[in-house]
Amino acid sequence: MKTNYSRSTHILRFLVYFLMVVLVVITIIPIWMLIVNATRSTVEIQQGLSLLPSRYLVSNYKILLSKGLDLPRGFLNSFTISILTTIVTVYFSLLTAYGIVSYDFKGKKALYNFIIVLVMIPMQLSIIGFYQWMSKLGLSDSYAALILPSIASAGSVFFAKQYLESIMLHELIDAGRIDGCSELGIFHRIMLPIAVPGAFTMGIFAFVASWNNFFTAFILITSRDKYTLPMLVQTLRGDVYRHEYGAIYLGLAASVVPIIVIYFLFSRYIVNGISMGAVKE
Amino acid sequence: MSSKIKHNQYGYLFVAPFILGFLIFGLYPVVNTIALSFTDKTLMSATSSFIGFRNFQNLFADSTFMTAITNTWELWLMNFIPQIAIAFILAIWFTNTRLKIKGVGIWRMIFYMPNLMMASAVAALFFSLFSFYGPVNQLLVRSDILPEAVDFLRNPQIARGLVVFIQWWMWFGQTTILLMAAMTAISPSLYEAAWVDGAGTFQMFTRITLPLIKPVLIYILVTSLVGGMQMFDIPYLLTDGRGSPANSILTNNINMYMKFHSSKGHIGAASSVGVIVFLMTSAVALLIFFLLREKHSTGKEIKEK
Repeated sequence: MKTNYSRSTHILRFLVYFLMVVLVVITIIPIWMLIVNATRSTVEIQQGLSLLPSRYLVSNYKILLSKGLDLPRGFLNSFTISILTTIVTVYFSLLTAYGIVSYDFKGKKALYNFIIVLVMIPMQLSIIGFYQWMSKLGLSDSYAALILPSIASAGSVFFAKQYLESIMLHELIDAGRIDGCSELGIFHRIMLPIAVPGAFTMGIFAFVASWNNFFTAFILITSRDKYTLPMLVQTLRGDVYRHEYGAIYLGLAASVVPIIVIYFLFSRYIVNGISMGAVKE
Repeated sequence: MSSKIKHNQYGYLFVAPFILGFLIFGLYPVVNTIALSFTDKTLMSATSSFIGFRNFQNLFADSTFMTAITNTWELWLMNFIPQIAIAFILAIWFTNTRLKIKGVGIWRMIFYMPNLMMASAVAALFFSLFSFYGPVNQLLVRSDILPEAVDFLRNPQIARGLVVFIQWWMWFGQTTILLMAAMTAISPSLYEAAWVDGAGTFQMFTRITLPLIKPVLIYILVTSLVGGMQMFDIPYLLTDGRGSPANSILTNNINMYMKFHSSKGHIGAASSVGVIVFLMTSAVALLIFFLLREKHSTGKEIKEK
């Protein structure tokens, strides 16, 4: 077989692998350094770069806490918001998509086209109007203002619609009706259980997006005890931590490690999920 | 049949929460932002008055605002062009049947990883790596590459380069995956037929691949543009949160935030920044979408044959 390849293919293949190794190094090194430096002392970090972990994880953590950074609290806050956002996004996106896929009602096509257009609108730019409106409702310093908007997540509905269309079984729905199931009952008892794999993929994306979201929380949340992880990360740049590199890296690492763990567990879902929303027309 | 029609009414019930959610948390904030942009409202004052287009006149007379707009476009373009170029090269290699690259799944998985990293943590990481006493300076000075430490983050070109690099680093993997998915969806029989007809590799790429992946290209372009115009976390956290040095990484959203977070909290003026950028971005995104979308129907027909 090998003789079939021309010399140029061999050279090209060598080049390809070489370039990809370079890209892998560029991709991994910043993340790796972030994690490794969380285990090194400030003195070690200042002495130079190293890719090997050290043994100062605990002392870095103690420094971080002693400077008043409540990492566990931020972790819990971020986790609470992200989980609730995920549930709201997944449930309401599937609900909306099911309504579009399963029923023929007037204005359905227009609604769907509108949702596609909505994906292309920079909604973050209305944050000031959003902030002022939430203040009026008394929600400006509350998690509700961060979670409830995901009832209408255009991108997720788009994904959910593609997914439901690919798994839809009209016979099953009709059978449910004959058995006397209500329409909502059919959605909850028949459709949701079949849609679990898709819901899971959507959920991962919703979770990561919410976990990493800085801007909205930064504008809305003012109480220190409600700060999310990205907001705490932002305070790490302050003067208090100026020369505590080990502690800073630990704070940064704590905010990215959970996502890396999720990625290693579910990378298949994630990588396949990226193209699902876009590739199918 | 009549029961089917009766059932169909339930569709409204299912989409009602979305519509309600959109009206309350999506549409009204937009309307409210527009309304605020015509007032002199601050966070400190209980009352405010209608001042017509004065906020907008101020913006267009303000060189900082124009700098922010230009910066945002430049920072986006400078990361998008290499991003799509590298993604194209990788996607072509990964899907090439003659090269038969091994472990495509693993390469792809690694390249996508930065996209999931918290942008604010990544920016803080680079802030600390490139600070004056940071490890990059240590390394370069120790190994005699630099005669003395450089204040990287006070240099406009380097600050911009870092923002562009981080953006590129975070997004090239995702773009590669999207392009690959689009390319593998093309039926191999098309390429075989073209090959029989004597088409070269380049011709196959421009005549078959490009037209057929056009919908995905539009998707990548539009979503990247919309994201890029709202760039905030990385330029905000890389330096002092004011677009320093010399306003070189001041983006639209930073500009808006600075007005919002000024001592008075001038939310009327901040809203006007949001409105202009909102209109500009939406117009460009919709234009790209509708201009490019029309023609791809021919590609679909080929695919279905």
